[in-house]
Amino acid sequence: MPADYDKGAYPEPPRQTPAVDKQTALPNPALILSKLFYYSVDLPVTTFRDAVDSIRAKNKIVYYHQKFRRVPDLTECKEGDYPCYYEAEMQWRRDYKVDQEIVKVIQERLRACQQREGHSYQQNCAKEIQQFNEVTKNFQSRYGDLGAYASARKCLMKQKERMMAAQAQNV
Amino acid sequence: MVGTSVLRSVAAFAARLSPLKSGNTAANLLTRAIPRTDKVAVRWGHGKRLFVIKPSDYYDKRFLRLLQFYILLTGVPVAIVVTGVNIFIGEAELAEIPEGYEPEHWEYYKHPITRWITRNIYDSPVKDYEKMMAAIQIEKEKADMRLTQLEVRRHMRQQGDGPWFQVPTLNKELIDNSPKSLPDH
Repeated sequence: MPADYDKGAYPEPPRQTPAVDKQTALPNPALILSKLFYYSVDLPVTTFRDAVDSIRAKNKIVYYHQKFRRVPDLTECKEGDYPCYYEAEMQWRRDYKVDQEIVKVIQERLRACQQREGHSYQQNCAKEIQQFNEVTKNFQSRYGDLGAYASARKCLMKQKERMMAAQAQNV
Repeated sequence: MVGTSVLRSVAAFAARLSPLKSGNTAANLLTRAIPRTDKVAVRWGHGKRLFVIKPSDYYDKRFLRLLQFYILLTGVPVAIVVTGVNIFIGEAELAEIPEGYEPEHWEYYKHPITRWITRNIYDSPVKDYEKMMAAIQIEKEKADMRLTQLEVRRHMRQQGDGPWFQVPTLNKELIDNSPKSLPDH
């Protein structure tokens, strides 16, 4: 079976099933339905999965997560050195993708927290909410309105504008 | 003819009357089943049998039949291959890169068919990157050369001592100055 999700980031709520206290002699319909579901759906699916896994176990293949070397940034390239510009641009694009995925993970955590806590999410998920706000604010300030044709140069110019605005504000 | 029934004898008499009709030859006379028209079960359903006059649906049916055939012609082998790959080979699992090992470029993908395509059909991403960088370098050198050419042209035009803006003229030593050497010629 594939690996389970990160239990630390998505903690399970405490179980609230009460202890069994049967007071009638009649059969429990929930038990009957759950057994029916188990024998008609769960068992066939699990046996099929186990059969296919045993066939697949002979031809196991693995894949790896690619690690890219860091190359000089756009600010460290000499003027007119177009291959350097290209490498910096590719590195910026990879970093942009990574940042988008980071924002998605934080969003997913907040969503899971809200689903878990129900109506009391505003106080119980305060940490997740604060994390989400911080991450999205930073993402917006860095990559915010760059648009579909975003590039490393445009992002650098946006950073320059931010720095100029901060300097104007400080003075 | 002792073993035959009345029917068969009647049929034999009728065959003798019209011997050329099909079904009346001696070979299938004794063995064919003669239907009795008054005792056959007539099943037209619970209603009246109608002869519905409607436009021909032959062309539509033919189109749909051919569509189904040509879609399934490649669809079924593709479906069999993809199902076989998913059952017998299965997707890859994520693993840590071992120490000192440089994975090939196809080992970064999950599905076996994607791995096969990137291994056999596509170039590796490293090669694509290098191709792009080479193209950029060539274009950069071309642009630099064009700029230097313009610069050199400007200089040569101004100074006039370079080889580009010189018009070849006749050799001075070929001029015959003898008609002008004496004042009275």
